This record gives sequence, C-alpha cells and structure tokens, in this order.
Amino acid sequence: MKARRTLLVLALALVAAAGAAAALASSNGSSKQAATPQHGGSITIARQEDSQSFDKTNVFQNESIWLAEQIMEPLYTVTADGRSEKPWLATSYKLTNGGKTYTFTLRKGVKFSNGQPMTSADVKFSIDDARAQSKGWGYLDAAIKNITTPNPDTVVFNLKYKWAPFLADIALFANGIIPKNFAGQTRKAFYTHPIGTGPFMWDKRVVGQSVTFKKNPNYWQKGKPYLDSVTWTYVSDTNTRELQLRGNQIQVDEFPPFNSIQKLQNTQGVTMTLFPSTRTDYLEMNENYAPLADVHVRRAISYAIDRQGIIKSVLFGHGVAANSFLPPQVPYYYKNSGGLQFNIAQAKAELAKSKYPKGFKVEMQVGTQDEKSIGQIMQNELKPLGIDISFKQLDTATEFTNIQKLNYQLGFSYWTMDIADPDELVAFAIDPKGGGAHSFFTDYNNPKVIDLSHQAEKETVPAKRAALYAQIQKIAAQDAFMGFLFYSPFRYAYSSKLHGFFVYPLGNYHLEDAWLG
Amino acid sequence: MSAISGTQAELLVHDSVVEHRRGFRHRWYRTPSFVAGLTILGIVVLAALAAPLITQHGPNDQDLLHTLQGSSSSHWLGTDDLGRDVWSRLVYGARADLHIAFLAVVLPFIIGTLVGLLAGYYGGLTDTFASFFVNIVVAFPFYVLVIALVFALGSGSRNIYIAITIVGWVSYTRIIRGEVLVAKRKDYMLAAKSGGLSDFRILFRHLLPNVITQSVIYACSDIVLDILAIVTLGYLGLGVQPPTPDWGNMIASGQTYLTTHWQLATFPGIAVVFTALGLALLADGLADLLRPE
Amino acid sequence: MTLGQYVGRRLLQMIPVVFGVTVLVFFMIHLVPGDPARTVLGIQATPARVALVRHSWGLDKPLYVQYWKFMGRIAHGNLGDSLFYGVSAGHLVLERLPVTLWLIVLSTILAVAISVPLAAIAAVKADRPTDHVIRAVPLVGLGFPPFFLGIVLLLLFGLHFGRPFPVGGYGNGFFGHLRSMFLPALTVALVLTPILIRSLRASLLEVLESEYVTTARSKGLSEKRVLRKHALRNAVISMVSVLGVNIGFLVGGTLVIEQVFALPGIGQLMINSIFQRDFPVVQAVTLVFAIMVVLVYLFTDIAHALLDPRVRFD
Repeated sequence: MKARRTLLVLALALVAAAGAAAALASSNGSSKQAATPQHGGSITIARQEDSQSFDKTNVFQNESIWLAEQIMEPLYTVTADGRSEKPWLATSYKLTNGGKTYTFTLRKGVKFSNGQPMTSADVKFSIDDARAQSKGWGYLDAAIKNITTPNPDTVVFNLKYKWAPFLADIALFANGIIPKNFAGQTRKAFYTHPIGTGPFMWDKRVVGQSVTFKKNPNYWQKGKPYLDSVTWTYVSDTNTRELQLRGNQIQVDEFPPFNSIQKLQNTQGVTMTLFPSTRTDYLEMNENYAPLADVHVRRAISYAIDRQGIIKSVLFGHGVAANSFLPPQVPYYYKNSGGLQFNIAQAKAELAKSKYPKGFKVEMQVGTQDEKSIGQIMQNELKPLGIDISFKQLDTATEFTNIQKLNYQLGFSYWTMDIADPDELVAFAIDPKGGGAHSFFTDYNNPKVIDLSHQAEKETVPAKRAALYAQIQKIAAQDAFMGFLFYSPFRYAYSSKLHGFFVYPLGNYHLEDAWLG
Repeated sequence: MSAISGTQAELLVHDSVVEHRRGFRHRWYRTPSFVAGLTILGIVVLAALAAPLITQHGPNDQDLLHTLQGSSSSHWLGTDDLGRDVWSRLVYGARADLHIAFLAVVLPFIIGTLVGLLAGYYGGLTDTFASFFVNIVVAFPFYVLVIALVFALGSGSRNIYIAITIVGWVSYTRIIRGEVLVAKRKDYMLAAKSGGLSDFRILFRHLLPNVITQSVIYACSDIVLDILAIVTLGYLGLGVQPPTPDWGNMIASGQTYLTTHWQLATFPGIAVVFTALGLALLADGLADLLRPE
Repeated sequence: MTLGQYVGRRLLQMIPVVFGVTVLVFFMIHLVPGDPARTVLGIQATPARVALVRHSWGLDKPLYVQYWKFMGRIAHGNLGDSLFYGVSAGHLVLERLPVTLWLIVLSTILAVAISVPLAAIAAVKADRPTDHVIRAVPLVGLGFPPFFLGIVLLLLFGLHFGRPFPVGGYGNGFFGHLRSMFLPALTVALVLTPILIRSLRASLLEVLESEYVTTARSKGLSEKRVLRKHALRNAVISMVSVLGVNIGFLVGGTLVIEQVFALPGIGQLMINSIFQRDFPVVQAVTLVFAIMVVLVYLFTDIAHALLDPRVRFD
C-alpha cells in the first residue's frame, strides 16, 4: 500500500519535472533593420571565457585580444573580407630599397584617449616594445631590422630581408600603438588599464566578472563611437547566456552552441548572425605513431571522414567541409587544392595499398563535447576498415599539452588566423622548424613543401605568390598530413536593437560602428 | 553540485536507523519501504539485464540522417545528436551506471570499514593517525578532490572508481569507528575480551557483524552519490569514456540542448531520480529490518 | 575544560590538518598533467616560448624547491601571483569570498525555512500519506543535477512568471545581491532539503516518542504545544549539527552552481583555476576552503555545547 502510494507520488513528481523542462522551448519572430545610427546607450557582451590580460604583446587569448583592440589600434587594419589591409592610424606607405624599406605616413590629428597627440615616436616605441617580447608576439616582427622617425608624421621600417607578409604583420593587434614610455608608467601598470587611440577607453574591471570600456571623446573618427560604453561579462554556461539574451540582460551572446542557432534565428528580438571566419578544424595525426607515418593510412583516414555527416549533426549544417588546410577567408587559399573528401571505396583502396591493409588499433584523445561527437562518428566509419579507435577523454589543458608534446596518436585541433596572410599558418603547419611546432605537432616533413613555403615568404609579386601557395596546398592535401575537417562561422546572437555589429574573419570587431536603435 | 557529501549521507543513515516506526518488523515483505525500494531497484536491474530484449536498436547505432528526432514507434524516446536511440542508451546506461556505482562503492566500503574497525578498536595512536587523514579529506571539498584526482589520473571509469575510493572511504571509517566505540562498552565485547580471545577473532567474528549494518545501509545512499558524482564529472567533461552509454554523459551532453531538445537531458535525469528513490527506500527498509532489538 | 581552553585546543589541532591539506593540494595539482604555460601561450606556443614562461614562473625548478618557496611565501602571508591573471592570488580569493559566503548563508536560510515546517508536519503525520509525499517529492531535487535544476529555475523565474529574478550575475548593492542570489541559493537549498527533512523528521520522532513527551502528553498538553515546546527545541539542536556537517557540502556545492549562475565566487575561481592549471590560485582557494570548513565545524560544536546542556567540552 505504502509502496504504491510512494510510487504514485514519485510519478507525479517526475511529470512535474518534465513539464517544467518542456516549458524550455519557445517563441519565434523576426527583426527589421533601422537606418541612421543613433548615439547613446550601452551594451553588454557575454562570453564563455574571462579575459586574461590586456597586454596585447604577450596575450594569446582571443577573449583578451578582441577587447584590447577596442583601445589600441594598429597603423593598418584588416579589411572586412579579411583578405587585405587598409590604412588606419597611417594613411599610406611607400615601399623602397628593393622591397626592404617601408615608409609610413601617419594620420593627422590622432590623439590618445588621454589627449596626448600620437607621433612617430609613439609608433617606434610601440613596435620596438612589441618585437622585444620573446614570450609573446615578437616573433612575427622578426623581419624588422630597425625603425627610424625622420619627423613626427613619418615612420620608416628597415627590414632584414624582403618580407611579403610585412603589412599583414603590421596590422597585428600586438603592433597596436600606445603612448611612448607607457605614458610614464611601468609596463605592468600600463597594461592593467591601457591607453590608446581606439574608440573606447578603459573604465573598470572586476576580475572574473566583467570589463567595462567607455567612449573615447578624443576618437579620431569624428562622430564615433555611438555607444557610451561596452561591458564584457563572463558567463560560462551556454544556456545561461541564451536566457540572459532573451531576458535582455545582455545584448550580445558570443558563440551560442550550434544546436541553438536555428531557434535563436526564430526568436523575437534576437538577431542571430553567422560571420564568415578563418576557423579551420583539423584531425591531428601524429606521424610518430607508426601506422600514421604511412601516407596511405593517413589518406585512408581522410577519405573515411564523413564531413557532411559531421557538419549536419555537430554543426547543425552551419559549416563547410574543408578541402585545404587554409580557410577560404585567407588570401591565397586555393579552392582546387583537392583535399580528400568522404569516399569509403577510396578509403578502402588506400588502406589496401598501405602496410596495414587489415587495419590497426589507434587511440584518439577527445576533450570537448563536439570532439566527442566527431570522434564517435569517425569511430563508426573507420570500424569497417579495421581501424579500431579507442578514446582517451581529457580536459582541454591536458589534451592541448599532449598534442604539443606529440604525446598522442589521433587528436583534434583548430586554427584561427591572426593576420591576413597565410604565412604564419603555413610556416606553423608544414615546416617542422617553423616556430618549432613540428608541423602543427604532427612531425610531417616534406622538404618540397618546406622549400616552396620559404620561396613564398620572399615573393612579393601576388600572382607568383598565389601559384606557390596553390602548389603547397595541393601537396599538403595529397600527403593528408592532417585530416581537414570543416570551416565554421563565428556565431553571435544579439539584440535586434543592436546595429552595425560586424565580426571580421579574424574574429575582431569594430565596435565604433555599433549603435542601438 | 548534486551529490551530497559523505558526512551528510552519514547523518541520513544514522537517522533512518534511529527513526522509529510502529508496526511489523523483521519480515522483509512486511517492511513497506524495503518492498518499494526493492521493486524500484528490481525494475532498474531487470531493465539493465534484459536490455537487448526490450530495445530495438543498439545503444551505439548511429544514424546521422535521423538525428534529434522526436518520439516515434521505432524510437520510443526519440534519437540523440548522433541519431542513436535514446531509449536504448537509457536502458544500456543503467548497465554502465549500476556497474560503475556498485564498483565505486565496494572499495571504499572495504577500506573504510577496515580502517574504522581498527581505529575504533585499538584507539590510541592508530586512531589519532586515522583521524588525521579523515580530517584532511573532510576539510577538502568532495568535488575539488575528485576533480583534481580525475585530472591527475585521467578520466574513464577505472580512474573514477579510484578517485571516488580515495575520497569515499572516510565516511565508512567515521560510521564504523563510532559504532565500534559504542559496541566496545557492551557486555558481549567485555566478555569476549576477558575470555582471552585473539584480537583477530574479536574483530572479525564478534565486532564486525555487529557494527557492519550501518555501513551496508550507508552504501545504499552512497551509490546515489556516486551516480551523481559521475553526472557532475560529465558536466565538467570528465565522465565515462564515449561511446559507452551512461546517464551522466547523456545528461551532460543533453545539457546544451536544454532550450531546444529538453528531453535529451530530462529522461536520464528521471532515471537517476527513480534509481535514487529506490535506493533511498531500500536504505530506509534495511534500517528497519536490521535494527537491533 | 573551559570554553577558552577548548577553542584553543581545537585551533591547535587545526594546524596540522590545514598543513596536510596544503601539502596534498600542492603535490596533487603539480602532478596533474597539463601545462599552464601552454594553456596561456595558446596553439602558437613554441618550445622556446614555453621554456621562457615556465622559467619566469619558477616552474622549471624541482618540485621540492617550488614547495619550499611556496611555504616560505605562505609564512609571509603571500599566496603568490595568479599565473593566468598575473595578480595576487590571495587578493583574487578575498575579492570573491563575499559572493560565496552570500550563497552559503542564503542557501542555509532557505533550506531551513523549507525543511523545518515540512519535517514537523511529516513527523506529526508519520507514516501517513502526507509523510510519504514530504519525504519522496524533495528527492527530485537530489536526483536532478544542479546544473539542470538551476537552468529550469532560471527559465521559470528569470524569463517567465513576471521575471522576478535576474538571469545569473551577482547584482549591485545589498538588495541587488539578494535578488541575484535567490535562485542559486534556492537551487542549493533544494538539493539540501531532502536530507535536512529526513534528519529533522527522525530526530523529531525520536523526541516525540521519548519519555518526557509522553509525560507531557499525559499531563494533557495539546499535541501542538508538545511539538512547539519540547520537540522543536530539540530539533534546533540537531539542526545545528546537521547544518554544521553540511557546510562542507555547501562549500563544495558552490562549484557548479556558481558556474551555472555566472557568480564570480571562489567556487567558479576554483574550477577555472584547475582547468587553467593556475597553481597559486588553486592552492589559495583550497587553503581558504579548508580553513572555512574546519572553522565551521568548530563553531557548530561550540554552538551545540552551548545549546545542549548535556554536551560538555571534551
């Protein structure tokens, strides 16, 4: 008797719980575009990670970099398509001395947020400081021999050698301009509340909670920015961020999960935008594990990845199968690279040609939920080939450390571009000595591609450079040194009242153009 | 944090033993909580054992063309993000979870009981030493210790047992030690001691059978705690290895679908509640049945 | 033994325990695989840069040397600098402590407010349907993981039903904090409730059946008065010890709750620091956690002794 009653009570409780959860799905609608920008208002952007530091020369975290860029600006900046650079704090440059001297003319009337005018001395100081940072981004400025300042409006960069990616490097956030001598402060003190020429200036920060920047009244683009202030908060749970957006507690939800995109697109008062990005996801194959050193094995695995299936079930259709290790948003991406696509027959044929025709056992390390899903799809597809994948589940820090130490067999990794030039990624990915990264931690070593990449670095004629990169991408695809998985967009859900919010393929955003209407 | 700490569950056990109930006793079929608990657990265990008979799909059979489907005649509870049958995963998940939870209870049970027995019986330095370690583990928040251990050892079922064991023995030690201290003053113990029996004989023939009841009852609640610990580790990305179906992973991966496909996390959640209820009732019933006169 | 002597002795006993915790956490966190330098340097980390960063943090030294330095710093009241944020770890922890204390205090109050009346009703109606409902329904709170429960509460009260509470965050000012903290505290309280109800109900039953209550009943006191006068007084005593024991859980329970509700407390700091391998912060947080738990045990023991004349300091 009592037992039955208890069961009944339990059943009621369960129904109540299920009912409450059912209330979780709801609403639809659409938004309209407004016309003229309006001044005023503040927005809050919620992100899944807290900013680490605003020392742009030493920080590698996107959640820090994208904020630092609102304060500190470079001489040239990346264009909206992410393929080239346009004048920013400099108005033009001249290339002389056989491609080894760049002379920049600075924009007139640019002031730092503290009112101090920007001069060539500040530029020299900023970039000399950036390239001295051996723990940071200094390596991208390695081509610079010295910097001179013939007058307050002119800066001259003398290079050690011809260096095709130079303009792209100058546009790097690490080369953003700050007042010379850190405006009289110590380096450390300066970067706890940095000063720059950007649309916003430092307001306050509560570590682990939020960062607030306010409008820079001295901004050189007259009439901008439109917003009075911008606050970035740290909200790690994706559901919480979504609910905060729906409750208008925040105005921008950075990176909602792929599975919520469709629903957010149909939510009233919410604009869900997928911005083209340079993010490329890879399957890492460590050639120190004997079977993976066999090119036919790597090709077989690459053929056996059902990229469309992965895109459908993990990215909910919001992605494109990758066919090169470079993403389409990067200059010199070659669309006919011939990256291997899903084809089980070909996979079988390749494996038959290898030293392991009957397959082998391999361990795959997985961290995030998406990696687990992709891994399980691959496990399913490779099983018929006799390739038996077992999983090693790790937290991201261990996973990452293992990959960098080449202490793995199969693993996952991704890349987003820092500059609008393929050089950084190419050197990293195919040159074992390129930054000491063991060819993206795979130990892939093909002298032919390495040689081609060095030629491309010194080649300043765009058409010739394009041909070199096309060849590099073709060989890399044939060698299948990594499994190129997919290109995915940057996902932002934001209030329909927010206009002019645009994310560049490198991930940065120019908030001076954003306004509330 | 879902799981309750060891000390809490100790209280839970302590009180269910102290709690007084009128009516019939010592007949298991007349102890309502016991029958109810046994029925619920029986259903779960039966479902786990009969998994292949009551499911139409393998728990890991993917169907990427039919992901995240609603309930239908071929998929009673729909499909998950990889097109796998949710009902199958739920039922096979019972296998995995009961298995892990049971194993994660056995070791702490043995170790904790032994340490508690020795510490309580011998007292003095043995006791001081044992208490020192107990106090350290207690001062360390349960999850912090488990997370750190799973990080150190790597995730996966085996390391989950180890981590839970390192943390979990403390509760058994505390329970048994307390029981032994009480039992030591009882007549049968005084008689055994003055009768010149060997320590070994006293410990294992006389003392253990009289004090183990509490540990057994606590173990029932402990299994719930372990299931919840596994769920929470799953939320933090450190649960059971894929593709093994388990409720923790199902809840954790369904969690990102809460606002779109709520059923993915809710069904395994209900399974956990159902099992927890069964175990709680069983513990109640056991306490009633095993209570000394 | 006087109260003063007792407290003094207990505080002395605390030292080796807290010391043991620091040793354990130091070696455990350093043995965990995963390199903070690589985490901070990102994918572009080259061996040269990793070595430079590790050197600047002193991580290239042998573990015992690092431990020695760590202990030396602690002796000067310095917990070191966060590897991730580059600011003082002690400062980080102190800044976030109020958030967690808020959460713990408010959850305790809510849990007590929910449990006491329910347990009283269950005890009076022992073994009747009301009793079963009161004992079974709260188990739902125990079975659903808090990250699930929390989101459901956020959805119901943060977006619907007139939106009385904000969706996560810490809020500003006393009332702002109170409003922001209500839902997270309720989530913790819902997990605690089933346990509190069971313990309280049991101790109430014990009292109700004890001799002096029987005497009181035989003297013709109404059931209500018996409950109020005798039973509840005893229940308060058992409440204090139950809560004391639960503080360890409450402190640990803040980890995931703070994550879900975006509360910048030390639980969230702890999780992030473990994930980033921010050694100094992990050490600082564990130290604070351990001291908190040990102190609370001490307080409840004292409170218990003061409330219950039968208990003596021993």
